[in-house]
Amino acid sequence: MTSNETARSVLSRTPLTRRDALSMGAMAAAAAIGGRDARAASGKLIWGVHVSIAPSWLDPAETNGLVTPYMLLYAVHDGIAKPMPGQLYAPGLASSWQASEDGLTYEFVLRDGAVFHNGEPVTAEDVRYSFQRYRGTDHAPLHDRVDSVDAPDARHVRFRLKSAWPDFLAFYTQSTGAGWVVPKKYVEKVGEDAFKMSPVGAGPYKFVSYKPGIELVLEAFDGYWRKKPSVQQLVMKVIPDEATRLAALKRGEIDIAYSIRGELAEELRQSPGLALKPVVIHGTFYLYFPEQFDAASPWHDPRVRLAASLALDRPSINQALTLGYSHLTGASIFPEGFEFYWQPPAPKYDPEQAKQLLSAAGYPKGFNAGFFFCDSSYSNLAEAVLNNLGEVGIRVQLRPVERAAFIKGYAEKSFKNIIMNGTGAFGNVATRLASLAVKGGAFVYGSYPDIDALFPQQAAELNHDKRAAILQQMQQMVHERTMFVPIWQLGFINGIGPRVAESSFGKISGYPYTAPYDELAIKGA
Amino acid sequence: MRQFVLKRFCYSLLSLFLLSVTIFFFVRVTGDPATLLTEPGASEADIAAIHQKFGLDRPLVVQYVLFMTSLFRGDLGQSFYYQTPVMDLYWSRLPHSLLLAAVAMAFSLIIGIPSGIIAAVRIGSFWDSVGKVFALLGLSLPSFFIGLLMILLFSVYLGWLPSSGSGTPLHVIMPAFALGWYFAAAHMRLTRSSMLEVLGSEYIKLARLKGLPQRLVIAKHAFKNALIPVLTLAGINLVLMINVAVIVETVFAWPGIGRLLYEGISFRDFPVVQGVVILGGAMIVAVNLLVDIVYAVIDPRIRLGS
Repeated sequence: MTSNETARSVLSRTPLTRRDALSMGAMAAAAAIGGRDARAASGKLIWGVHVSIAPSWLDPAETNGLVTPYMLLYAVHDGIAKPMPGQLYAPGLASSWQASEDGLTYEFVLRDGAVFHNGEPVTAEDVRYSFQRYRGTDHAPLHDRVDSVDAPDARHVRFRLKSAWPDFLAFYTQSTGAGWVVPKKYVEKVGEDAFKMSPVGAGPYKFVSYKPGIELVLEAFDGYWRKKPSVQQLVMKVIPDEATRLAALKRGEIDIAYSIRGELAEELRQSPGLALKPVVIHGTFYLYFPEQFDAASPWHDPRVRLAASLALDRPSINQALTLGYSHLTGASIFPEGFEFYWQPPAPKYDPEQAKQLLSAAGYPKGFNAGFFFCDSSYSNLAEAVLNNLGEVGIRVQLRPVERAAFIKGYAEKSFKNIIMNGTGAFGNVATRLASLAVKGGAFVYGSYPDIDALFPQQAAELNHDKRAAILQQMQQMVHERTMFVPIWQLGFINGIGPRVAESSFGKISGYPYTAPYDELAIKGA
Repeated sequence: MRQFVLKRFCYSLLSLFLLSVTIFFFVRVTGDPATLLTEPGASEADIAAIHQKFGLDRPLVVQYVLFMTSLFRGDLGQSFYYQTPVMDLYWSRLPHSLLLAAVAMAFSLIIGIPSGIIAAVRIGSFWDSVGKVFALLGLSLPSFFIGLLMILLFSVYLGWLPSSGSGTPLHVIMPAFALGWYFAAAHMRLTRSSMLEVLGSEYIKLARLKGLPQRLVIAKHAFKNALIPVLTLAGINLVLMINVAVIVETVFAWPGIGRLLYEGISFRDFPVVQGVVILGGAMIVAVNLLVDIVYAVIDPRIRLGS
């Protein structure tokens, strides 16, 4: 309903004086002017972003391993290769690449006609410079394993590794920002700090302006090699409050709203003209029992861990909290779509069998399982889970911990009993195993020697199929021992308004935001 | 008088010094900002690199001395998150906060003072009860709740006002109301009690005995004297409105200093939190100093007593 229609409908129902009618007319006229201002700009899409945009997100060299910076990287910059619709390693600025048989050399051929926003061509020297300049997460293992980077000519880049490293491409093009290319001459000319505030990239949109914490404005780059973007201007407004984002979407002040959860998502679903855009991201949520490696603990018995898994009514939790959009894969720490993923059997909900298992394990009346630690921002999920556990006799006390303290406590091994965690880290099955399941991992409280023994084998295996077989065997072992209890792979819910013809949500597997940006479209434009 | 001013000035400096010590060490109790700037499970090398970049690897006392040295040069440091000088961030947000505070203050005075006067003049009446309820609601309803209700009503259902952001006069109406209501209630209560005190004084009785009309007694004799404490409170409240409208600015995505403080706290951006708190504190200390001096000028008993 427009402002004028609203005013008319109010006028028709209420006895009003002439003064009331005049003042209401004036307000409606003012609102109409405001409404036109918000909607009129054809060729412009406006986002309501849930997090404050940091300038470091505009510089690939500072990529921090979280998915959020990619919200801007996909718009402003381009990579040698990157995840794109239907492809984990889609050619980007490199049209092709080849690894040597011994796995020690990777050679990339740059695409003809790829240029930066300032008109300069993307060269091999820019690729080399961007790699060496990278200082974000995992720069040390990446740089340490690369012996040299050569640029024999403007279109060829050759990486020589110190030893064979099957995950080189995963690290170079996915889990770090080292493969995203910046113009060397421009960065050297303006300096590191100025580059973040006025970046030049080779992506589909060029930088226009940035107000820290408030908004970012981008404009279509006609010279983008892949496709000329059809939307002229993108505005990303930071609106921290979820309810306000939804209100702005309903009013047409924004076209795309990130992260709308629970009851608000339901309201969004029922709002005429708006559409839900849920995306299943690589964020897997699971329960972990740090005491499973202690023979004196009830959690040492795999039957008890399986009972905990059988106690969870995942479909009901999913429906209540994410409107059924999360995926119940049963894969605990490994997301669907990851390289080397093995699909386990679907998780079952069977409280009676859970009670029988507990009884067989010596706990016919259940047991007091101590504390249940979780990131406080997911307390609602934790409450649902511990209610289910309580129904079969596993009694726990919730201990929600502020996010940073939770991560710190988990990594420092200071938690006990039950930990509920979610991880959306990049990488592949091997990187998840490395950090969560095998000896020496950042979040590993204990491990199983046979699983540990397989890990170096897969890391040294250059044959992709053989490596996949080892990693699938490891996933199966993790599953069969109920090392982790799977909850879900999170459905990240977004909303779009009536003007959006193509939002690009869900095109890239596991990616929560809109991309590729050059595929965005406005209705009627 | 000079001695009085000098003494008050020294107290003000001491307050600011204590504030700087408190906020510097308090923000560091909240935890390590590196854990929020990296992925979960980031390597120790990555964490250490962040510590080194922001000087967090140095002893706390050294960090404090460096912070104070910069502060004396007018430099509040560089935001960890925005990687921009805090002073630049503060100045870019200040005009928005000043606008919001000015409108909210105008609203709070326009509503609070007349309703306080009416409640005092018609004590025990229906209007006094209405004023009491208004004050009770204003002081007890959280501003985020009022804000969300307003968005729902005026933005979503009626479509009259934009839900968030800034840029047009329409944008400021809802945040100013949500922010100003609490203060309107406070001003109403103080106006009422101040008016009651003045109305009971001897010179008001004399004015009435002289046969002055009620309107003149209220407007000319009572109101002027009752207004002094209200305006003093309004001055302090204005500074609070500028600096601590955290919730209102966040709900309405208003680009002011309160939201900057919220962002600073959310990201453990120590320089931002320190900067906003110290500049806000400096404003409050300056206003208090000014009020003390004005009081001392007006009333010699204050400076002589000191």
